[in-house]
Amino acid sequence: MKNKFLNMLMIAFVAISIVSCNDDETTTPSNPGTTTYNAGDVGIEFMNIAGTVALDASGATNYVNAAGESFNVSMFKYYVSNVKLIKQDGSKYEVPNSYFLIDANDTNSLKVDLANIPGGKYTGLEYTIGVDSARNVSGSQTGALDPANGMFWSWTTGYIFMKLEGQSSASSNNNYKYHIGGFTGTYSGLRTVSIDFTPSILIVDGGKREAEIHIAADVLEIFKNPSNVTIASGSTVMMVGPTSSGIATNYADMFKFDHIHNDPL
Amino acid sequence: MKVNLKIYLVLIIVIVWSIQACVPDVDPIITKPLFYQPDGFPATSGQLNNNPVTYNGFRLGKKLFYDPILSLDSSVSCGSCHQQFAAFAHLDHKVSHGINDLEGNRNAPPLFNLAWHSNFFWDGGSNHIEVQPIGPITNPVEMNEDVARVIAKLKRSKFYPEMFKRAFGSDTITTQAMTRAMAQFMSSLISANSKYDQVKAGTATFTVDEQNGYMLFKSKCESCHREPLMTDLDYRNNGLDLHFTSDPGRARITLQPSDSGKFKVPSLRNVAVTFPYMHDGRINSLSKVIDHYRNGIVQSTTIDPILAGGNMSITDAEKQQLLLFLNTLTDPTFLNDERFSEK
Ligand code: HEC
Ligand code: HEC
Repeated sequence: MKNKFLNMLMIAFVAISIVSCNDDETTTPSNPGTTTYNAGDVGIEFMNIAGTVALDASGATNYVNAAGESFNVSMFKYYVSNVKLIKQDGSKYEVPNSYFLIDANDTNSLKVDLANIPGGKYTGLEYTIGVDSARNVSGSQTGALDPANGMFWSWTTGYIFMKLEGQSSASSNNNYKYHIGGFTGTYSGLRTVSIDFTPSILIVDGGKREAEIHIAADVLEIFKNPSNVTIASGSTVMMVGPTSSGIATNYADMFKFDHIHNDPL
Repeated sequence: MKVNLKIYLVLIIVIVWSIQACVPDVDPIITKPLFYQPDGFPATSGQLNNNPVTYNGFRLGKKLFYDPILSLDSSVSCGSCHQQFAAFAHLDHKVSHGINDLEGNRNAPPLFNLAWHSNFFWDGGSNHIEVQPIGPITNPVEMNEDVARVIAKLKRSKFYPEMFKRAFGSDTITTQAMTRAMAQFMSSLISANSKYDQVKAGTATFTVDEQNGYMLFKSKCESCHREPLMTDLDYRNNGLDLHFTSDPGRARITLQPSDSGKFKVPSLRNVAVTFPYMHDGRINSLSKVIDHYRNGIVQSTTIDPILAGGNMSITDAEKQQLLLFLNTLTDPTFLNDERFSEK
């Protein structure tokens, strides 16, 4: 009986304190001098390219890599995760649970939604290509990380961070396959990408996808900078090792900031 | 006084009722808990922490385990290679036989006490009991199926959506729900009622020969086949080969040459019924396994330090005692437990 009374008392206290919190906020604005921005949704749109042209990932178009080898692309997929938006004051906002699988052959996957981003001005973006170690060691995942998406190694557990496949006359069997992964160790394929919007500024101030960041990903970069990768010397890369890690370093800089939509500057 | 008594009575009724409301939906036939911590066992891996075993999860997991729908042409189920009478190993198959009779290169290990394993397969390549099933489902020489297609098949089924709903509260079938149910079933395969366990519990006694065999086991085998799981779950080279080109074992995962030829130490529980033995099934009887330790240990670069001194000296009489002890590790309750059977 006594407990019940105590409980009621607690509930009353909590209720009162919640109400008083709200009161505080409405009566004393924290920063009277500045404009307040409202939280809103932000979109990122990935544009896959090969050099200067839009990438055709149907296998019908031939491209030439840095080593002069001709190849086409029938599959190009990669994980973008742990997205952080960088505020003008240098602080970072980490988008919770941000795991996205970009698939050049699935237009829906190219547009990524970041919901409920705190209002304000942002000057850049950071993300990981791949999937962090925590999600590689904690069992079955859902959504973009569902093993059914085919970006998963089961014989040595771990996500495949990037898949590039197609045909090439430089390969002895006419096919090439790069499956890059590895979440720990010397040859880990995890890479962080930083994108600077300068001089553009992303303004988040309410609304649904009022602001959109456009980023280009260039497949030709996978073959160069800093490692020279040739299809002739290894048309199948499906294990973690120096080659896969070199390819990961190459593609870490395949992303180029293109433009921001609704950019007021 | 009277008023007080009445209040207490009402309170007691409320408490009893609320406790009952908390009891999960349990089938009356299932009397023992599906998952429990046997006396003397170490802490579990913790991989069930986000996935506690429930009756309906277990039931769904068992259905999936025995359903060939998980394979490309509906010819092979998990149970085809993991048979209960063989402690869920593949009896009399050196290496596994999968779809279209294709052969793999490794011996199907028995499945029990898996909640104490943190890594799966002979080389420990799979790091979670929830993702482990993806391996056999997608392996071209096992079930050769695609996970997305399995999910689509389950969605089309007449009864699976209802079973998923009962197990996880939603009839949306996902890879996570499927593999979590299988993890619940496999984790419930607990073997802890062999004669050895009964002796430990004080409800049975070893014969003199068994007791002598146990002492030998303690001095020669237990450092790797550690009690009470009868494995230390580490990766070791017990001297089978000089070169490891056909199967590098643990090195395949760690890429460290120093791990070549090392394999996960198998549990010796139920070992009398899991022949053939070793990662590639090369030895077909326990007697020959002991002969390996008596006179077949190959000294290679990665031989386990415990065996670096050479062959073990075990007399013929001692060998018989050792064999008798190994037989006390057979757990008939587990091998015949109807809760785990296909039907
Ligand atoms: C074609 C035969 C075959 C089928 C079908 C099969 N397995 Fe296996 N299983 C094996 C073999 C062989 C291994 C050892 C593989 C290795 O070490 O690389 C194994 C290993 C395992 C292990 C690891 C045990 C340990 O001690 O590390 C588990 C768990 C397991 N299988 C569960 C399953 C499940 C669940 C299914 C169904 C989805 C399944 N198996 C289907 C042959 C099979
Ligand atoms: C240095 C560690 C070590 C010691 C000591 C050791 N073993 Fe083993 N044992 C292993 C390893 C590792 C394997 C698996 C090897 C493989 O398949 O490549 C194994 C396999 C076995 C197997 C096959 C089990 C199966 O399911 O395939 C049996 C039986 C066995 N050992 C019995 C014994 C006995 C009996 C002794 C003592 C006389 C003993 N072992 C001592 C490490 C050890």
